[in-house]
Amino acid sequence: MRLRSRAAILLLVMSLIAVACSSETTDTTASGDEPTATTAVDGSTDETSAPETTAAPSEEPITVRAAVTGGEDTLNPYTYVSGFPGWNLLMLQYDSLMQFDAAGEPQPWLAESVEPNDDLTEWTITLVDGVTFNDGEPLTVDDVEFTFDYFVEKAAGRFARDLRGVESVTTDGDRTITVNLDAPNPAFELVALADIPIIPQHIWSEVDNPEEYQFDSVTNVGSGPFVLVDYVEDQSYRFEANPDYFRGAPTVDELVVVVFADDSGPLAAIRSGEIDVIFERISPEQIELLDAADPIDVVQGPEFTTQMINFDVSKAPFDDVAVRQAISLAVDRQDIVDTVFLGAATVGSPGWVHPDKAVYNPAVAADQDLEAANALLDEAGYTDTDGDGIREFDGAPMSFEMLTNSSDSLRLRISELVSEMLAEVGIQVNVASVETATWEEAVWPGFDIANGRNYQMAAWGWSAPIQANTIRVAELVHGDPSIGFLNLTGFSNPEVDALAAQLLTEADEAAAAQAIGELQVLIADLVPFVLLAYPDGAYAYNSATYDGWEFIAGQGIVSKVSLLDPSARP
Amino acid sequence: MKRLDLQKLGQYAIVIVVAVTLNFALPRLMPGNPLALIAGVDVGLLTPEQRAQIIADVGLDEPIINQYADYWKSIVTGDLGQSYRSGRPINEMIAERLPWTLLLAGGALVLSSIFGIVLGAISAWRRGGKVDVPLLTGMIALQSLPSFWLGMLLISIFAVNLGVLPSFGAVSPAANLEGWAQVRDVLEHAVLPITTLSVLSTPGVYLTMRYSMLEVLGEDFIRTARSKGASERRILFGHVARNAIAPVITFLAIRFAFSFGGAVIIETVFSYPGLGRLVFEAVSGRDFPVMQAAFLVFTAAVLMANLTADLLYPVLDPRTRSS
Amino acid sequence: MTSRSLTGTLRGVIPRSLADRLGWLGAGIVAFLLGTAVFAPVLAPFDPAERVARPFLAPSADHLLGTNDVGQDLLSELIYGTRVSLTVGIVAAVVAMVIGTTVGLIAGYYPKRLGSVLMRFVDVVLILPFLPLLIVLAAYLGRSLTNTIVVIGVLIWAAPARIIRSQVLSLRSREYVLASRSMGAKDRWVIMRHILPRTALLATGSFVRAVSGAILLEAALSFLGLGDPIQKSWGSTLFWAQSRGAFLTPAWKWWVLPPGLAIMAASLGFALIAFAVEERINPKL
Repeated sequence: MRLRSRAAILLLVMSLIAVACSSETTDTTASGDEPTATTAVDGSTDETSAPETTAAPSEEPITVRAAVTGGEDTLNPYTYVSGFPGWNLLMLQYDSLMQFDAAGEPQPWLAESVEPNDDLTEWTITLVDGVTFNDGEPLTVDDVEFTFDYFVEKAAGRFARDLRGVESVTTDGDRTITVNLDAPNPAFELVALADIPIIPQHIWSEVDNPEEYQFDSVTNVGSGPFVLVDYVEDQSYRFEANPDYFRGAPTVDELVVVVFADDSGPLAAIRSGEIDVIFERISPEQIELLDAADPIDVVQGPEFTTQMINFDVSKAPFDDVAVRQAISLAVDRQDIVDTVFLGAATVGSPGWVHPDKAVYNPAVAADQDLEAANALLDEAGYTDTDGDGIREFDGAPMSFEMLTNSSDSLRLRISELVSEMLAEVGIQVNVASVETATWEEAVWPGFDIANGRNYQMAAWGWSAPIQANTIRVAELVHGDPSIGFLNLTGFSNPEVDALAAQLLTEADEAAAAQAIGELQVLIADLVPFVLLAYPDGAYAYNSATYDGWEFIAGQGIVSKVSLLDPSARP
Repeated sequence: MKRLDLQKLGQYAIVIVVAVTLNFALPRLMPGNPLALIAGVDVGLLTPEQRAQIIADVGLDEPIINQYADYWKSIVTGDLGQSYRSGRPINEMIAERLPWTLLLAGGALVLSSIFGIVLGAISAWRRGGKVDVPLLTGMIALQSLPSFWLGMLLISIFAVNLGVLPSFGAVSPAANLEGWAQVRDVLEHAVLPITTLSVLSTPGVYLTMRYSMLEVLGEDFIRTARSKGASERRILFGHVARNAIAPVITFLAIRFAFSFGGAVIIETVFSYPGLGRLVFEAVSGRDFPVMQAAFLVFTAAVLMANLTADLLYPVLDPRTRSS
Repeated sequence: MTSRSLTGTLRGVIPRSLADRLGWLGAGIVAFLLGTAVFAPVLAPFDPAERVARPFLAPSADHLLGTNDVGQDLLSELIYGTRVSLTVGIVAAVVAMVIGTTVGLIAGYYPKRLGSVLMRFVDVVLILPFLPLLIVLAAYLGRSLTNTIVVIGVLIWAAPARIIRSQVLSLRSREYVLASRSMGAKDRWVIMRHILPRTALLATGSFVRAVSGAILLEAALSFLGLGDPIQKSWGSTLFWAQSRGAFLTPAWKWWVLPPGLAIMAASLGFALIAFAVEERINPKL
């Protein structure tokens, strides 16, 4: 008895020490936050929050607690970590000139209108009038011009790449900007205008080294519907609504994003009611389970992430197109979708392009055909000479190691299934599950394809933006590393190169459609990689707290659009 | 005697040098590249020049010997540099994480030593009896539980099904509580992880105490005390337990030192922001400076504990003191 | 060291049979598990690598523990898992004991120069950061069951080395050792003839303890995604249960509980044997 109470006291003392220490650190992160945070919230009851914009019947402020797995650092344009959901969270604070609508098409946003010339080299953008940054300064054409220059000069990976080919940016009057490109860019809206956060010149003009500059909630501001007011590393982010947002006050007053260490944490926390939404795709088996739990709902839709097989095309036997074709024919994509994804995925198109895309070429089909696969291999001389069930080439068995990353359990299962399927055509695949950084380094050494490849086969996948912008397929298949900088399999083919290069600058829509159609046929035929599936996005949320989530085609629900009044959405 | 101490110090110094060198070498021997961490996920979009620039910015293009010298310099000056990932000073990051890890480790240490020592003493005293056998078997069984399994089951029961305790984190996210509400919040969040850690670490203390007690019970002075007719309770707590405690303290000191490495699994399961999680993420992303710094803290803690145990042992154990 | 006569007095007070009884219980558990491992192909209703039914099935007459996330039979996985987990445990412990005993013997027998250098090496190994070491070893050895075993063995040999060394240190000053050395016996002969046999029992205790540690370590590695999830071990079954959310669904009863209890049983079995063996070595206890 005595011992127990003594233990309790000790425990208490220990925790008090810990609290004292940690509150100190919280103070340092939050220091200087207070002024802007309060000025931003002060006006929350003024006329901007018109009655019809608030979904909640009561005056009670709505707080939504969202879960992410893994931190996103200080969440400014230079420090956010992941393309998803990091960029999406970043864009809660910042606006771009265009914004994706529910169909995934870019629509004017900060821009009132976007007018390209006929050959898509000159883009005239008119800004919406009267937009201000969250610190009250107006957002002007100068800020837009500054942003473009800054990202190019200070080499922000994604945004600098977006702006490749921009020759000049000129402003005309208060609201008009003209962007000149060195070549036609049919995807300029998608990759640049809807992607780049407009940053305030009055703050960033003094930031020389953005990677190391320590921003706070005063300086890390854009014109977006939310302000990041609090951040505790690897624990949480707290966003407050900007009631003066130019499209109307957000429907949620406060958004708390909780950082989890692994995928199962959010699943427990949404069930226990500790969080309201998961800003990560949930695993397929969870869809039904969580949907059945009250008050949790699940919204689901096709997305543009990919699951595929890569092989080193520069080395035998994968340099032989017959082997690649045989592998593509031997895998049962439907089985993968049914077994691993429990149906919550789209069967992969061998031509790379997602069937939901307008430019998808239905002529490329992906049916498993073991006979054809076997025939191809037999004809090409890969026969099983020693009768062990495994074919040989150059006297060695066709036995390969397939690398996969252990942190993606679905990909691991896909690899196992592929191994099973290829065994049926006499190709032995040994799945090697390695830690993520090891896997990346083998498949994509130094993240520069000029460094070559250290793998035979690998399970791989690309994030949504690469599929979302169809012409980026050029980056995956072009033989020239400066264009095909994501060409991880070392594939090269002059015909493919020509089509890919044309696609990048084709201003004529019909000609572009023609080119992408042909390219899909070529890819399906030459098999630079084997596309297996496009997993669906599925997101769980507590409908009692907030149910305004909008599923943007191909991209999911993590977007400022989900947190705005339906009338304010693009 | 003096010479021997010097020799011992010399040996410690060698261990430190070797450990520090390994702390430096291991991260660099790992396959993988910190580039992705520094440049973010869009690393593939960088031009070769930009990549080279980033590598140069963090000093990774320097000859390895210079990097090694820099590491020593950072150890001597106490400034452990900046994280590749966040650019934040590592001293600050460790100061932020350490209290949480110590809260868990300290809580578990207190609970497991209380239960371990008391139950170990009882078990030894009643050796082979109705208390000892089930206790001993039970403790060995507890020691055999996989930690993540226990942690996840506790979450499932207490957070999800009963809804009485939080399932993740060290505090309620962004709640900005103050005073007693904050203390309460912290304690509530610490209950499940500390329970998990305690359950797993009590058997070690228990077994050490039991062994040590049995050893002491066999000694002459105890038999003398018994024959003099001292009360059982008095013998148990006054003589035996006091004399048996030294190995247990050593055991606890070392165990506590090892907790500076962070409880990676427990901190992952509970998304607890301690050192273990910092290390795990640094390792996954190849954040060399953070890895080096965290390993240094760990190395220092273990060596300190060894030293302390060496020094404390004679003080705690009256038998060694007298001899 | 107190006089041996004391044990005689204490024997009456403390029954020796406790340790023996627990030891036999442990041996029983281990024997049962070994039997399961050896006869896995006979006992398992299905091939654990084959997809035999729909994924995520609840227990039924056909599949007593239901199926996993790709439709493999969980009972068969559990039975075959015994093979992998015990192999990892036992072989890793053998590796650890070979290194640990060798280092402990040498360090204890030559305590001056060589011994202290070796023991500092042991100190360093004990404070080596575990995670990166693991990743480095896995990277250079490749990823397979063999390498998981080697990695675990390499990680856990230091503790037995210390225990053995202290035993050798004390044996070394015993009369018969001193006598045979003074008669000019070669070191190797003395070690083989006098030292090794007398450390054997202690080593057995350490070995059995190491097996139990290795089984737990394999499960922990699997959980962190650093094991080999393709191998059907108890740890990998739990890895899949965890990554497919089974801990929070009714499936925990047939997917999470059995492998967890199996790990506990195996670890307990070996730990009880270790306990009994250690009680024997130190008759004073």
